[in-house]
Amino acid sequence: MQDIYIYNNTFKGLLCLIYELLQKKIKPYNIKGLDYTPNLFDNLIKLNLKYDGDIIQKFIEEFGNYNFKIIYYVYLSLNAKKEIIIYYYLKNYYNYYRNLPYMRNLKCVDEALKISKKVSAECHKFKGFTRFKKLKNNVYYAEINPDNDILELLSIHFKRRLKNEFWLINDVNRKIISMYNKKDFEIIPSGNWQFKLETSEEENIFLEMWQQFYETVSIKERENLACRRNFMPKKYWKYIEEVKKEL
Amino acid sequence: MFDFSFLLSYNIYGEVNMDIKEKLEILTDGAKYDASCSSSGSNRSGKFGSTNRSGICHSFTKDGRCISLLKILLTNCCIFDCKYCINRKSNNIKRAIFSPEEICYITINFYKRNYIEGLFLSSGIIKSPDYTMNFLIQTIELLRKKYHFSGYIHAKAIPGASPSLIKRLGSLVDRMSANIELPTQESLKLLAPNKNNENIHKIMNYVKNNRGKNFVPAGQSTQMIIGATKETDYDIMKKSSSMYENYNLKRVFYSAYISVNKDNLLPTLKIPPLKREHRLYEADWLLRYYNFRVEDLLDSENPNFNILVDPKASWALKHLDNFPKEVNVCSYEELLRIPGIGVTSAKRIIKYRRHFKLTFKDLKNMGVVLKRAQYFITCDNKFYINSTYLNKSFIEANLVIDNDIKALPYGEQLQLF
Repeated sequence: MQDIYIYNNTFKGLLCLIYELLQKKIKPYNIKGLDYTPNLFDNLIKLNLKYDGDIIQKFIEEFGNYNFKIIYYVYLSLNAKKEIIIYYYLKNYYNYYRNLPYMRNLKCVDEALKISKKVSAECHKFKGFTRFKKLKNNVYYAEINPDNDILELLSIHFKRRLKNEFWLINDVNRKIISMYNKKDFEIIPSGNWQFKLETSEEENIFLEMWQQFYETVSIKERENLACRRNFMPKKYWKYIEEVKKEL
Repeated sequence: MFDFSFLLSYNIYGEVNMDIKEKLEILTDGAKYDASCSSSGSNRSGKFGSTNRSGICHSFTKDGRCISLLKILLTNCCIFDCKYCINRKSNNIKRAIFSPEEICYITINFYKRNYIEGLFLSSGIIKSPDYTMNFLIQTIELLRKKYHFSGYIHAKAIPGASPSLIKRLGSLVDRMSANIELPTQESLKLLAPNKNNENIHKIMNYVKNNRGKNFVPAGQSTQMIIGATKETDYDIMKKSSSMYENYNLKRVFYSAYISVNKDNLLPTLKIPPLKREHRLYEADWLLRYYNFRVEDLLDSENPNFNILVDPKASWALKHLDNFPKEVNVCSYEELLRIPGIGVTSAKRIIKYRRHFKLTFKDLKNMGVVLKRAQYFITCDNKFYINSTYLNKSFIEANLVIDNDIKALPYGEQLQLF
């Protein structure tokens, strides 16, 4: 039988579980979320976990800021094996300590570094690709479709940038929405809410101007569509106003 | 308010009160040939807006260039008659002028919708350099002080403007640049008779001596047109290298010449020399990050880059006796000279090899391009390929084939040796 440990789909829950496994020196076959559908050989195990105190603070103290950031970014990724990668990454900490991030010949370290890089790269892309629309009630609204769960990282960026505006960012793929009230943001599931979106009257003026700017600033003699696709993959185009119509 | 009445004497064909959308079209069209669009190197934050140290690209145009700044001209009216420029005085094109308020209006609204990272403001020269400079300053001051905009601003300094104005503009912007346009004084005289090399150098010198947290924090850059005059790559690289040394420039941009005007002093090129531009950029990187000197790459006998092989590989082929290098022991400087190893992977190699012995698989994981590096390295004293074939013509032939010929823009002819 294969021992599959189940956590409650939250980052803290995953940390509590891994902490427990590391303490008791249990080697799991895999770690999965609540929505995991088991196959014939799986033995699902749900531990009754309790951790007094701040588990996140505990992990930062135990493994250091850098390693914590790495595992958090891996957690945000879409990777199917992310939980077990995090487990082995942390487990190996006790073999190499602060040299761990340099052990790139270890599969788990190599994967973890690659995945976390991917997540931060996608977040950086969406700092540029997010497009806001101004609604009638002066709220700026954006829809995004990233692969990884970057909404929190992205919100930190926009909190600094558009600090004196109300804004909403809707992650369409994950059905979560980030709301900012000029002080702080909160991420809540949007479920199957139907948004009544009434854009402000000036919205079309700027959209048209932007689209026209986009067309004009390109130099015809240098056209290179493959190069554009390389930097701005087509999967993101759906919510990018100026290229949407080319899809 | 600004008095536009003087414009009547500058053959303006449109109206001053033209629709803002039409103005945007005309003044974007006039600004698009400037290559610079970077938004990096500054860390500003305020009531409205912020900048990002590494820069952010917001979109990409059909030609594959990034859009991060709203790149526009204040006006495309110009008293100069530079032969290569679309906005030259003698061209019969539609002219327009923005008012400072209009520019703020567009910039702020684009910024709030996250279309752009900031503003890139340039201008044709109206009345006099000082007058134009004042106009630029007034616009940017309005944006910074009245609207409290703390996004990125890149402004063109107008050559010939007085130092006090350069000082004022510099204290408002993140990056300032003055375009050298052509690598030698003779070419400049020929094609841009109103421009003076010395004025541009004066600006660069001023910026270099006064740069700080509150004066052009993101540094200065410049641009050169490639292929409009007869200079060789050697002349161009010598000029770049001297500017990097003397003025601490962040970047020199190279812009393949595009025939927008007919003039018997100008070459008629159907297709801009994009491959040549690409090679110059590669060499530019080698100068800035790889400790290469111009003399390593070119000399008066070989004054132009090989179109088929990139500059670093050409250098390696000429110095095959330096290779192979053992990646587990050789220095950072030596790593940088190996084709297929860039700054990032060289740093990683140094970082990781202290902890374990590298294999070819590890190198691949770190981003080393083995396709190119395989001829020049050993790992643990082993070659990646059978070393009996390793001679110059073998390596050269393989590198040329690997050099992605498909990536060439449609229609560009390959020049064989």
